[in-house]
Parts: sequence; C-alpha cells; structure tokens
Amino acid sequence: MKSKSRAGFIILFLALPLIHLIIFSYVPIIGNFVLSFTNWKGFGDIEFIGIRNYRKIFTNPEYISMFKNCAWYFLAAIPQLIFAFLLAVVVNGKFKGLNIFKGILIIPYLLNGVIISTIFIIFFNNTGTLNTIFGAFGLEALQHQWLQDLDLVNPAVASISIWRYYGMNFIMFFGALQAIPTELYEAATLDGCTKWQEIRYISVPFIKKVLFINILLSVSGSIQVFEIPYIMLNGSNGTSTPVIMIQQSMSENRAGFAAALSVLVFVIVLIVVGLQKLLVKED
Amino acid sequence: MAFESTAYKVVRYVVLVLASIFVIIPLIPLIFMAFKTGAEYSSTSVLTAPESFFNFYNFSYAIRVGNLGKAFINTAIILTISLAFQVTGTAMVAYVLSRFDFMGKKIVKTLFTLTMFIPVVATQNLIFRMMYAVKLVNTMWSVIILYSGVGIVGIYIMLNQLDSISKEIDEAALIDGAGYFRTFVQIIFPLMKPACTTLVIINGIGLYNDFYIPNLYLNRDVQTFTVALYKFFGSMATPFEIVAAAIIIGMIPIMIVFIFLQKYIYNGLAGSVKM
Repeated sequence: MKSKSRAGFIILFLALPLIHLIIFSYVPIIGNFVLSFTNWKGFGDIEFIGIRNYRKIFTNPEYISMFKNCAWYFLAAIPQLIFAFLLAVVVNGKFKGLNIFKGILIIPYLLNGVIISTIFIIFFNNTGTLNTIFGAFGLEALQHQWLQDLDLVNPAVASISIWRYYGMNFIMFFGALQAIPTELYEAATLDGCTKWQEIRYISVPFIKKVLFINILLSVSGSIQVFEIPYIMLNGSNGTSTPVIMIQQSMSENRAGFAAALSVLVFVIVLIVVGLQKLLVKED
Repeated sequence: MAFESTAYKVVRYVVLVLASIFVIIPLIPLIFMAFKTGAEYSSTSVLTAPESFFNFYNFSYAIRVGNLGKAFINTAIILTISLAFQVTGTAMVAYVLSRFDFMGKKIVKTLFTLTMFIPVVATQNLIFRMMYAVKLVNTMWSVIILYSGVGIVGIYIMLNQLDSISKEIDEAALIDGAGYFRTFVQIIFPLMKPACTTLVIINGIGLYNDFYIPNLYLNRDVQTFTVALYKFFGSMATPFEIVAAAIIIGMIPIMIVFIFLQKYIYNGLAGSVKM
C-alpha cells in the first residue's frame, strides 16, 4: 500500500498528543530533578547549591512532620477498604432497593474537595454535627475541639478521606465481584457452603488483584494529599502536607526547594506504582 | 446468584442502611443550613430543621454575590474545549496503536503508560513557570491546555472498543479508496461513540471537580465554578448559611449528570481497573 501516506498518517495522529505528553509530563520531571539542586527563585539566575534543599527537608522537624501527616491518610485507608469491600459483597446480588442504595452510596465520590471541606467544617466544628450528636446521646466526654486540638486535628481531617473515597474502592470491588462466574457460587451452594465460606473462598481470592491495586492507590494518594487540609485549614494547626508545601514554596518564589519536594513526591509514587506493576505482573 | 438465607438478607439491609446513614448524616446540616435565616443559623443547633424549606434568600444571594453564573460559564467553556481535544486526541492515538505496526510503537506505548508514575502535583512547579513565561497564567487557555492531554486510562477504554470493531471494516474502506484519514473520520470514529461517551463522562466529572489546577492558574476574573465556591467560603466575611446555599448549588449539576448517566459512570470506573 501507499507507505508514504501511511507513515504520514501515523505521524499526523501521534504528533500533537506526544508533544503535549513530553512538554507537560517528562520535561517538568527532568527539569525538577535538575532544579532541586539549585536555589532558583523561579526567575533570574540559577545557582547550584548541591543537596542543600534535600538536607533542609530531612533535618527540619517541620518538614518531616508533613510526611508523617501522610501516614494518617494511609491509616484511614484501612477501614475505608474494609468498609468498601463489605458493601461490595452485600450489594452484589439481586434485591429490592439495589439501585437506590447504589445511588446513595456513590454520592460522596461525586463531590469535589471544596464541597466536602465545607461539609466537614460543619461536621467537626465545636458546635458542629459530631459534637451535637454526642451531646444528644449524653456522651459529652467525647466532645472535642476536633479542628483546634493539635493531637486530634490530623486524624480527624484524614478520616474525611474514608467518607470521600470509599465509593471509588466500592465501585472497583463491585466490578471485580461481578466478573466472578456465577457457576462458582452455584456449585458452592450445592456443596452446602455458607455465605461466609463463599466470601472467604471464592470472593476474596478472586478480587485479590483489585484489592492490591486499591491498597497501592491509597498509598500513592496519601502522599499527594492536598485539597482537604488546604481548603479546610490552609495547612495550619500542623496539618500541612508535602503538596501544600510545594504550593507554598512556589508562591514564596522558592522554586528550587519546591522542585526538591516535587522530586521526593515523585520518587515515592514511582516506587509504589512500580511495585504494583511488578507484583500484578507476577500473578 | 446463589441461595441467600433470610439471615443474610437481614444482614444485607442492616449494613446498607447503616452505610446510607453514614453517607447522609454529614449532608443533613448543610441542607438545613441553606434554608435558615441568619438569626436562625446562630440560634439553632446544626441538626435542627429550618423553619421553612421555602426560604430561597440564601440561594439568590449566593448566585448574585458569588458571581456563580459567570464562573459556571467559564467552567462550561473550559470543559467543552478540553474534552473535545481529549476525546479526539485519545481516539487518534488509540486508533493508530490498534491498527498499525510501526517502528517505535512500543516506545510510544511506554511513554503514555509511564505517565502513571508522574503525579500532576509534582510537575506544576515548572509548568507554572512555563505558562507564566508565555503569558497564559490567568487565562483559561493555561487550564485548557493542561486538561487536553491524552491519558493512559482513556487509551485503554478506546483500545477495548476498537478491539470489538472488525478490522475488515477498515480494509473494505481502504480498498474503496477512502484513504486512512477518511476511514478514521467517517467510518471508525463514529463507531467509537460508546467509548467516547464513557470518557467524556468520567473525565468530565473529574475536570468539573478539579480544584488544584484552576486554583493555581486562574485569578478572580476567570475562575471556575469550584474555585468560585472556594473563594466564597475562604472569605470569612460570607455568612455560613450563604456558603451552604452556594455549596448546594454546586452539587446540583453533578447530581443531574449522575442521575441520567450512572450506567456509564459504573462501567467506566470498573473498566479503568482492567488495564
């Protein structure tokens, strides 16, 4: 066939998407790596300062605590995944009200960070939803200043991600469960399996891969937390995260330092996603 | 589906009702608040229902003062242009990857796949300086350009669709002298409509909800709906019952999309795992 027009067609169709990809994904990653060894302000001269930016991050307790905050978000992912899995199991089937429940359960996943932050400012306020509910049940001892107490603010804010993201895990688990052939369940019923045995020996092994993907998504999501602590508290009360700090450094014209933080976030995500690809391939 | 004992059915409903309560409780005070007067807001508990659910003052005030109408139009413009670019670009890349063997195909595929490793937040430090240098900061174009890239998830959704379209259709068109370009535009692209719809809905929700990029690149004059809500609530001067009304207005478009298109949302999200 006309090989010239064939080559031209391929180039025509790939050129723009590839150029976009290189400019907005690969150039910034390589650029950040180089800039992380400089004290560039974002304009003007560039002076190399070795690993000073990195040393600053790893020696200043303020910066170390940002990375520690990410651990709270990962911890929150554990109940989140269990909850999502439980829901996917009970929703998997035919029963009255299925679509209504599915509709309600997916609501949080559709809302954006600003909406969720507002909802949870009302929720955690001193006279907010949570304290009001505790008061109504005579549990005044449990009432706290959730967003001011420095020991409570990070777990409180991190717990919001359970409400926000379990819906995504739920849909993924649900999709995986639906892919299990029904004959397996039928055979299990014939053999006299209980529902619990069915879940333990059919559902869980079948969705292992999806479960694993979800765990790693949670890890890589935890390191990139930005919206909720930024919108709710502007990173104050010790709720700052690496991405909030990147943004702050950018606006303070510390582009070199922001680059070093970006590289660290990138490396952590790289390790996590790489691990995922490696282990999923082995399966 | 297997036999389900009565006990299991009871457990199912208990779990689902509890989960629904867990979802709904944080939303109730927001809805109540949006219908309360200022005096009512400061004198009643967050879990007390408003005197009247027909008090729409907060809503009209929010729309007027928050410039929400203008922000909504900005969002619509940004979404329409970006999604058009995204869908066309993704379909083009997927088509070439699905129908042609060529030198460097593996490299192209790898380049797109590896972007999974690159978090958006770790690139903006430098991209912001580039956008600033070409004077696109504070214009919609910065956001549109960033949103117009071709993502790997979209490529996989489209590749799945292309697998189900017989290659004989392409070949017949080529033999009839249609040429590669016309074969794609007039014959294959229209057949890819379901995959395009899924991509538009999934990415449309993502872009509508995005806060990070528009907050970074757009100032007050061209802000998107999500950022307008944030600015609104960030200025402590705004009474909270007005903020609540604005937030509810912000939820409406996404709820409408969901009610009519939920099938696509479930399929698209479940499909993105299979890559």
